Amino acid sequence: MTKQIHLWAFLQGIGFYPTAWKHERARPAGVFSMDYYASVAKLVEKGCFDAIVFGDQLQSRGAGGRTPERMAMPTLDPVTLLTAMGAVTRHVGLVATISTTFNTPEMLAERFATMERMTGGRAGWNIVTSVHPDTAGNFGLDEMPPKGERYTNAADVVAKACELWAQMDRAGPALPQGRPVLVQAGQSPQGRDFAARTAEAIFCPAATIEAGVEFRNDLRSRIAAVGRNPDGTRVMPGLSCVLGGTEDEARANHKAIMDLADPALAIEYLSESLCCDMTGFDPEAPLDHEHVIANTLLPAADVARAVTPAGEAGTPLREFAMNFMLNPRGHNVFIGTPEQMADMMITWRDEGACDGFTLQPSYMPGGLEDFVEGVIPILQQRGRYRTEYPGSTLRETLGLSPRVEDAA
Amino acid sequence: MNKPFIVSASIADPLLAVPETGKAILDAAEATGLDLLVVGRAGARPFDAQVVLAWAAPMSARIGLVATVPASNAHPFHVARALSAVDFLSAGRTGWSVIPEGAEQGMAEDMVGAARALWDGWGSDTLIIDKASGRYLDASKVKASNYEGPFFKVAGPVNAMRPQVGQPVLVVDAAAAIAIEDADIALVDDAGEATGATKRLLKVDASADMAAIAARFEAGEIDGVHFTLSDAMAELPAIATLCADLREAHPAGPGNLRESLGLPLPATASNQPDGARVPEIA
Ligand SMILES: Cc1cc2nc3c(=O)[nH]c(=O)nc-3n(C[C@H](O)[C@H](O)[C@H](O)COP(=O)(O)O)c2cc1C
Repeated sequence: MTKQIHLWAFLQGIGFYPTAWKHERARPAGVFSMDYYASVAKLVEKGCFDAIVFGDQLQSRGAGGRTPERMAMPTLDPVTLLTAMGAVTRHVGLVATISTTFNTPEMLAERFATMERMTGGRAGWNIVTSVHPDTAGNFGLDEMPPKGERYTNAADVVAKACELWAQMDRAGPALPQGRPVLVQAGQSPQGRDFAARTAEAIFCPAATIEAGVEFRNDLRSRIAAVGRNPDGTRVMPGLSCVLGGTEDEARANHKAIMDLADPALAIEYLSESLCCDMTGFDPEAPLDHEHVIANTLLPAADVARAVTPAGEAGTPLREFAMNFMLNPRGHNVFIGTPEQMADMMITWRDEGACDGFTLQPSYMPGGLEDFVEGVIPILQQRGRYRTEYPGSTLRETLGLSPRVEDAA
Repeated sequence: MNKPFIVSASIADPLLAVPETGKAILDAAEATGLDLLVVGRAGARPFDAQVVLAWAAPMSARIGLVATVPASNAHPFHVARALSAVDFLSAGRTGWSVIPEGAEQGMAEDMVGAARALWDGWGSDTLIIDKASGRYLDASKVKASNYEGPFFKVAGPVNAMRPQVGQPVLVVDAAAAIAIEDADIALVDDAGEATGATKRLLKVDASADMAAIAARFEAGEIDGVHFTLSDAMAELPAIATLCADLREAHPAGPGNLRESLGLPLPATASNQPDGARVPEIA
């Protein structure tokens, strides 16, 4: 019995790389137009993906007094985009990220219930607690609630939202899936425990097959430990790619994307990612990891893990920033031919590193087109990927129970 | 100059939030030539009108889409952001109507103030998106909103760009307990009613005396009419017939919702005379 591969398309913004918007096949202004979202939604559906996923950030652009001029805008509101994409498609699932820290259960239950009805049962909720410290100011707070508190609150918000959906479902019109599919993205032990109790699908980074196996096994044992069935949860690590007809061509394509970034841009992006302004530092001087750790607005321990080894080795800031750009978010990045990529995906699936992948095209829409035209037909020929949708709701597509009868 | 006779209707039927029936209702509203479809109203939830608008944006071509926002179940940051997105996806056809339902006194006004401040944190000419120079935006055109009202404190700006219409068209119901002196459109029960708004639409039903309405329109007392729908599929064709003559004599213009209805762009320091622009890119 060959294991089927699930696929999600993570389409927030204009691609995986911060320079992606400058690529000759990128359409950066598209993210402000319905035409763009309609065409990529139809392409994803043609590729039979389970779902489109949008992340979300609630901090303002330009918060903290610096507005990077050379980086594409992350997003319009994900629920809005996904509902509009749902209006022009029939099958593809729609997973929207919404924070439990900055929404009441009433607010988000109402939004998702409407989305769920209007899209005929294709809604999913990527449950996040928001990390970026500058988010607090947009909701009248001076600082973020501590992580433990955010996760405790998240459990309450999810429980209350499920209750509200059960009520709405009974009152009608029915919610086609009973409630949206619950998705989680988070990595720490707290995040994993929360996922184990709640999630029907998980979006996570796994840079290597070993990391994927470790994560999935760990999650499955945590799920079993809380008395749920591990087969009721799909683990969907991120996957970015740059393809080419030959390996050399793929490498050249990748180099062309990297060449769109100069060191100053890389440092600007690093500053954004680590929440510490390093744009005024000498690019040739060693990365000042102590300064970064002392001044980052993110949890210092997480940032320390990312910068300490390079800082202690005396790596120049420029070099660290350029390397950071090669793999900014800890996901698996594949460079090669479509055949090789299909082989890799099948191996990961067979080795238990994942149930499928969350594709993060390197630039948009070209990177998505290359994958849909190049890789999907190969997976289909090998019998590892669907050629049509099994039903109409996201639960059916994911192979989960078709409806949650009493969500509460 | 010929000003348009504006025809508006509000709908709070849950069937609008189900795709099969919703599409038929929306098509009928467009066929009627409605200028504004106000989605939701006081006392009639449960559906999130902002999400209905997101669905309606690609399903419609001309109609103005107005979300009813209950101040008690929303936050200005989320509202400002969602409506900005709807406005881009609908190519500038978005409006909103804050209702005080269930909210403490002053909260609806605070919602309006906060959302406007969030939109105004972006200049309308912020985006550059020039691949050759690598400049995506002009940082000098982005500023914090630092709004602080009795209920909402929001740093801002909204993290998703200024709407094409500058700020979505603000519709207030004069019967609601909301004190807004500079709305774009007021829905009034009586043409003599004093409300501060650029345009006034008289609330009527399908038995309205259209000759009297035409006279009031010509006299400048009102700018159009507003119908409260309870059975949209039955009522919309009747509205089309009722308003046909006035509509033909005073049609809406081309362009986004503000342009077509003759509503000025909000005069804020960050809003340019021709509104927000997304540069064209090959
Ligand atoms: C793959 C991935 C994607 C994420 N996407 C978002 C997002 O879009 N918005 C957000 O606020 N947080 C996002 N997060 C953050 C998580 O929700 C979580 O808050 C964060 O990882 C810290 O929790 P942890 O220490 O448990 O991982 C993401 C995390 C991961 C691992």
